[in-house]
Amino acid sequence: MRQRDLFAATALALFGGGGLLWAASPAPRATEPAVPQRIVSINLCADQLVLALADRRQIAGLTKNATDIAMSGEAEKARGIPLLSNSAEQILAIEPDLIVGMPASRSAALAALPKQDYPTLDLATADTLDDIYTSIRETAAAVGHSERGAALIARMQGELEGLPKPGKGRIAAYYQRRGYMTGTGTLIDELMTRVGLVNLAEKLGKPPLSQLSLEEMVAAEPDFLIVESATDVVTDQGSEMLHHPAIRDIPRISIPQAWTVCGSPAYTQAARSMAAQIARIDGDRS
Amino acid sequence: MSRFALPRWSLIAALSLLTLAAAVGSLLFGAVDLSVARLIAAASGDGDRVASIILFDLRLPRTVLALGVGAMLGLAGAALQGYLRNPLAEPSVLGTSNAAALGGVAAIYFGLAEIHPVVLPLLATGGALLSLALLFILSGRAESPLTLILAGIAVGTLAVAGTSLALNLSPNPFAAMEIMTWLLGSLENRSFEHVWIALPCIAIGMAMLLWNGRALDALTLGEDAAQALGTDLRRTRLRLLIGTAIGVGGAVAVTGAIGFIGLIVPHLIRPLTDRSPSAILLPSAIGGAALLTLADLGVRIIPTTNELKLGVVTAFLGVPVFLIHLMRERRLW
Repeated sequence: MRQRDLFAATALALFGGGGLLWAASPAPRATEPAVPQRIVSINLCADQLVLALADRRQIAGLTKNATDIAMSGEAEKARGIPLLSNSAEQILAIEPDLIVGMPASRSAALAALPKQDYPTLDLATADTLDDIYTSIRETAAAVGHSERGAALIARMQGELEGLPKPGKGRIAAYYQRRGYMTGTGTLIDELMTRVGLVNLAEKLGKPPLSQLSLEEMVAAEPDFLIVESATDVVTDQGSEMLHHPAIRDIPRISIPQAWTVCGSPAYTQAARSMAAQIARIDGDRS
Repeated sequence: MSRFALPRWSLIAALSLLTLAAAVGSLLFGAVDLSVARLIAAASGDGDRVASIILFDLRLPRTVLALGVGAMLGLAGAALQGYLRNPLAEPSVLGTSNAAALGGVAAIYFGLAEIHPVVLPLLATGGALLSLALLFILSGRAESPLTLILAGIAVGTLAVAGTSLALNLSPNPFAAMEIMTWLLGSLENRSFEHVWIALPCIAIGMAMLLWNGRALDALTLGEDAAQALGTDLRRTRLRLLIGTAIGVGGAVAVTGAIGFIGLIVPHLIRPLTDRSPSAILLPSAIGGAALLTLADLGVRIIPTTNELKLGVVTAFLGVPVFLIHLMRERRLW
């Protein structure tokens, strides 16, 4: 996995999110039945794709955070579906006919299951829009609704078509709690490029995840700060930093984490919201 | 009289100079290299925007807090050591700082601090006061200085456990990192809002502790003799308790529990004075301000990928003092 967003990963891991437990014990991949009827997702990102593409009655279990609107763009749809706590016992009881993970074959819970061949779908972590399309296609095929995948991709392409690039080459920094900054090779970086912004991390030659102090941020003078909308309210010392008077005057673009943590259909919402917020900030200025 | 005793005014003047130098250093150095000329231009009001934001919004509040919090911790250490006649007494060893941190954590993570800005220092002070009261009850009239330290460890451990539990119970996925900041202390990213929370508390606390000088001197003769000399022990204890709680509470509410300042400073100052408790009070406050400001400067200058926590630096300075006392005491056991 590339270090796309350490914090999101930490958050998932700490929340006990099903998917992000990496253990090295590959399970053999079985042939898929035509239309699986008891799908289990063991990763928050996989939850969103399954919810978007499978019928509700096909889904037998999702991860604990699937209904958390702060973390998942498909949280509304997940209500009422059983949530699993990544325990082998629960999965065993369901007897799934498809396990979707990121990747599923390296899950600790699956490794703990007795030697039995569950059909699994291993999705790759999406760092670009094309990765997202690939995941959508794979999931759609695995859950038996290839046509829905094609339709979803077409819808997303439509939504992104003609998206303005109001950034005009200006510099933006994706600034997270405690001064972490997201760098290049990430979904965030791609979103910035899509709306015409240049990532400050690229300008400064920083790695995919770096820490930048307030002083350095003030000295770097970015045109925009992109922040997670969860940090709009001060809840602890980590988010308090983003409200320091020293960076109060830098225009802000606020994006829900739920849209950007995973490569999911919410990508288009994030891109459109960013473009709209830049346009609004420019409008206020003129 | 110690052979090294300096006249009081020259000691205070020397410490003040050191503190001033530390404060100037704290304004000059940081994550971004700014030339002295640029900083002076910013200070005189016609500098560029970046330099003046860095100087006034970032470095100045940080320096002011380091001075205030250091002074409070140094003074609290000197006063507690004097009153308890125990060389190891100080807010962090006795668990006061950690209990104040517990109060602060409760205020922030359960959303109480949003009600009113005064809630945060209030709860931190409450935590500190509660721990001191508990400590005095636990150690009671025990003659052994060990009892007090053991009671302090019990109170401190309880407070640390409470802090971790409170953070684990709060819906915060970043609890581990937050716990670390609260328990090791940090002056990173502080603003003037924090200064306005801490400084009034520190001013009240310091005033109450400095008031006690005479009573502390009398107490060196024992409680009975002190009472015979006209010291109101009950009032002295009350001032000490409340002064320490308010001052340390206000300080910890914005910086987390910074350890060992109150332990080291009085030990460094004492040989330079006539060793009477009242004579080390004010020099300890000034020395504490200098030491914390220098430690914070060290935190910024020592190159690490993540900024060092203040408690790490102060522990490296403080633990040797602790060990020297341990070696000395062992002869008596």
